[in-house]
Amino acid sequence: MPAANEKGLTRRQFLQFSGMAAAATLGAPRILHALVPLIGKPIGSEVRRVPSICDMCLNKCGLIARVEKGVVQKLDPHPNFLKSRGMLCAKGNAGIKQLYDPDRLKYPLLRKGARGEGRWQRLSWPQALDLAAEKLKAIGEKYTRCGVLFMAGSDVQSSFVNRFASVFGSYNTVSHESNCLVSRNRAYLDTFGEMPIPDTLNSKYIIMAGANCFEALITPDSIDMITAKQKGCKLVVLDPRYTKTAALAHEWHAIKPGTDMAFFLAVTNVLIEEKRYDEKFVQEKTYGLEQLKDHVRKYPPEWAEKECEIPAKDIRRIARELSEAAPAAMIYPGRRTSDYEDSTQIRRSMAIVNALLGNWDRPGGLTISREIKVKAKPFDPPFYEDNPEERVDAGRSLMMFEEEGSFKHARDAVIEGKPYPIKGFFTYKTNPMATGANRRKTIDMINKLDFMITVDIAMSDTAWMADLVLPAPSYLERLDPVTVLQGGPAGTGLITRTPVVPALFESRPVFWIVSELAKRLDLGQFFNFTLEEYRQEQLKDWPNAKKDLKKDSFHNSPGKIYGVYEGKVFKTPSKKIELYKQRYSEKKADPLPVYRPPQIVPPGKFRLVVGRNAYITQGSSTNNALLSELVPENEVWVHPKPARSLGITSGELVEVSSPAGKGRLKVRVTEEIRPDTVYMDSGFGMLSKGLTRVYEKGVSIVEILEDHNDTISGNMAMHETFVSVRRLH
Amino acid sequence: MDISRKQFILVIDSQKCFDCKACMIACKVENNVPEGHWRNWVKPTEAKGRRVQFQPGQCMQCEAPACVAACPVKATYKRSDGMVVIDPKKCIGCGNCVTGCPYGARFRNPETKLAEKCNYCEHRLLRGEEPACVTTCPTKARVFGDLNDPKSKISALMKKGRLVQVANRKINTKPRIYYTSGTIQLSWPKEPTLPGDVYLPESFWRP
Repeated sequence: MPAANEKGLTRRQFLQFSGMAAAATLGAPRILHALVPLIGKPIGSEVRRVPSICDMCLNKCGLIARVEKGVVQKLDPHPNFLKSRGMLCAKGNAGIKQLYDPDRLKYPLLRKGARGEGRWQRLSWPQALDLAAEKLKAIGEKYTRCGVLFMAGSDVQSSFVNRFASVFGSYNTVSHESNCLVSRNRAYLDTFGEMPIPDTLNSKYIIMAGANCFEALITPDSIDMITAKQKGCKLVVLDPRYTKTAALAHEWHAIKPGTDMAFFLAVTNVLIEEKRYDEKFVQEKTYGLEQLKDHVRKYPPEWAEKECEIPAKDIRRIARELSEAAPAAMIYPGRRTSDYEDSTQIRRSMAIVNALLGNWDRPGGLTISREIKVKAKPFDPPFYEDNPEERVDAGRSLMMFEEEGSFKHARDAVIEGKPYPIKGFFTYKTNPMATGANRRKTIDMINKLDFMITVDIAMSDTAWMADLVLPAPSYLERLDPVTVLQGGPAGTGLITRTPVVPALFESRPVFWIVSELAKRLDLGQFFNFTLEEYRQEQLKDWPNAKKDLKKDSFHNSPGKIYGVYEGKVFKTPSKKIELYKQRYSEKKADPLPVYRPPQIVPPGKFRLVVGRNAYITQGSSTNNALLSELVPENEVWVHPKPARSLGITSGELVEVSSPAGKGRLKVRVTEEIRPDTVYMDSGFGMLSKGLTRVYEKGVSIVEILEDHNDTISGNMAMHETFVSVRRLH
Repeated sequence: MDISRKQFILVIDSQKCFDCKACMIACKVENNVPEGHWRNWVKPTEAKGRRVQFQPGQCMQCEAPACVAACPVKATYKRSDGMVVIDPKKCIGCGNCVTGCPYGARFRNPETKLAEKCNYCEHRLLRGEEPACVTTCPTKARVFGDLNDPKSKISALMKKGRLVQVANRKINTKPRIYYTSGTIQLSWPKEPTLPGDVYLPESFWRP
């Protein structure tokens, strides 16, 4: 496998050589290719193997690209990256078609017609940057600097967008997290003081509720779950939908949507009533056991059965089995928890069970993410006197994360113009038009703007609505900063990217874009470095990592896994695991999770639930030529019983509607869903004609979803929408 | 690498497969398989209308290959290393082997008009690499190797036994891909035919 590379060459020289090699294909002397440094064993003339890190989803798996005559031919998994365990999934393999996609944005575009009409004018980069800087300045002067909202998704260069926002003077930055998992983070942080990493590999008993590890792939958890199963770990899945995780589980319970808390309160009841919790651990390390005991007395399995439609004897049995396997047992924390208006409290009920099992910091339980640090270029942002006091979305939920914000609340604030107007919007590597529930409101929001800038690889629906669209390179063409992966048993390490091939067309990385904007706004001193210099600075304290990052694009940094908390206190106000949450009562939230039944599904309607399959990364991969062959369009899943009364059969076109919107798509009649629930994949029914495979194909789930939110974290609540399904003929 | 002295075998553990289809996309990219066609697959096994297992598969490199019997020009043949191969210089694209395969493992490439199927990524084997589907698999559900190498993982697996085969009941082509014993659906392969749904006596399919 890859050995030495770039011997004795600086990065700068390497880039020069790459550039020369590219020139060679245009007729310069062919001899130059021999100077291009090779990684690993050459596999023929003009063939190179270049390591990088996948970016088809959030996982960041290690890969090796085979490049022949300057063209990437194949992406293979890197065998030595601990986090991805030598795998590359379907999306990872399809990364080649993100790079070579005729739908890619090729040069800066300025909107010519009405928003969403799709008429554009090509601009040169200097024209585009001058215009963007001028508009940002004008908005800043008229509405204060906070009048520009920045939204950068999960990307290793997003920190530069936030750095730019900060020095430009806006603290209105929203991450993608509030459309995803802030309620889970809230719950675990507030209970344990930090977000743990599940030690799936060594677990003996795992309950997965509202999580789908065999389709919503997480490395190494998804792989480790199979290994653990083969070693005898029992997997219990609670899900209204029969996912592939349910298919491969020992038990699947088609829980009534929105009642997971009832199940976990009943499990808590059994653990306490039967003294099945880890007494020593709970006595020493937790706060609020007495209050919890009183609280769950009213929640026995016999009560829960009526709520969640799982037999009391099964709940009791599962609780007992769980306690017998403890501490190598867990309630899997899951990821996307943007489901209900009390989703933080639902996850609190799960976190409390984990605490009672005493699985913290122990094999097969919840492990502590090992924090390692690289240096960053510190900066002291200027102070803008006229800025408002608070973020635009402040106070709309009880305990939001400052650094993440809430897309739902920020969008409402822009539409209302309250507490102050927002007239500029900068988006990067995120696609709220395809992922933010209630698309019509996203359109309303964008229509309120004076100027919107979107940096993207392709003409996403968000780009389609923008005033200025700037083309970004794919991950295979990028030089990236060093990024720390805070992981558990396998995941801790550093990653970086070096271009596998030079950037195509006129695409430019967002680091360069914001640096150029900063220069034009007299903020150049905050971006007075190249990305390469930044990376050098980051690695000052990591002499050994440098070599690895050059050779492999990653540096594994495994360390102590268990017993890390010995002698340490928890990072909570009581310095213990907080079963009872004093701070919540101060904020007028329940200090212990109080069960409130979900709204009853009105007769003739269905609850729409969101989920994943292994071939789709939200709004970003459905237009991929290879992946669209696996899932060309989305379908609405309907149970045979209601399908019979509606007179609909698999494959026929139906209309799905809600108060938010409606659309037509094919129906899949299947036993793999509860009769009162329907499901569809996200990422389809796009409005952008620039996405040729998914334009008006199927239905966009955010067209149908209403925008509720978790009252504590401001997370979008995407399981609170009731829909009608109508036969068309 | 001299592959003529090898004896290639693939053992698949369906219980490790979660249907991520990495193998299918990896194969498609590695072999430039045209849109609408696949050289490998993941087949769901259903019970009571629900999926319970996922079974990966590809050309079974059979011991008694029906495709070889079906080929009128000897373009497809069994090689000493255990692989069933297609000589593109001899193939006339008649499509006999496509319907003759009980597994649906072959197709006619719409561009070349010739028969095509899995060849264990022979070009990768020559470079000392494993087939793309084997390399990329997250859970390593596919184990590939040389039976002539007693120290290989595949030899150990084959010695351990408890393996099953997926075959058509009537015409057993003796597949050379093995599955671990938890594999549920074993008899899905169809009876081989010639194009136009033409059935032939069993003796025809014995090469």
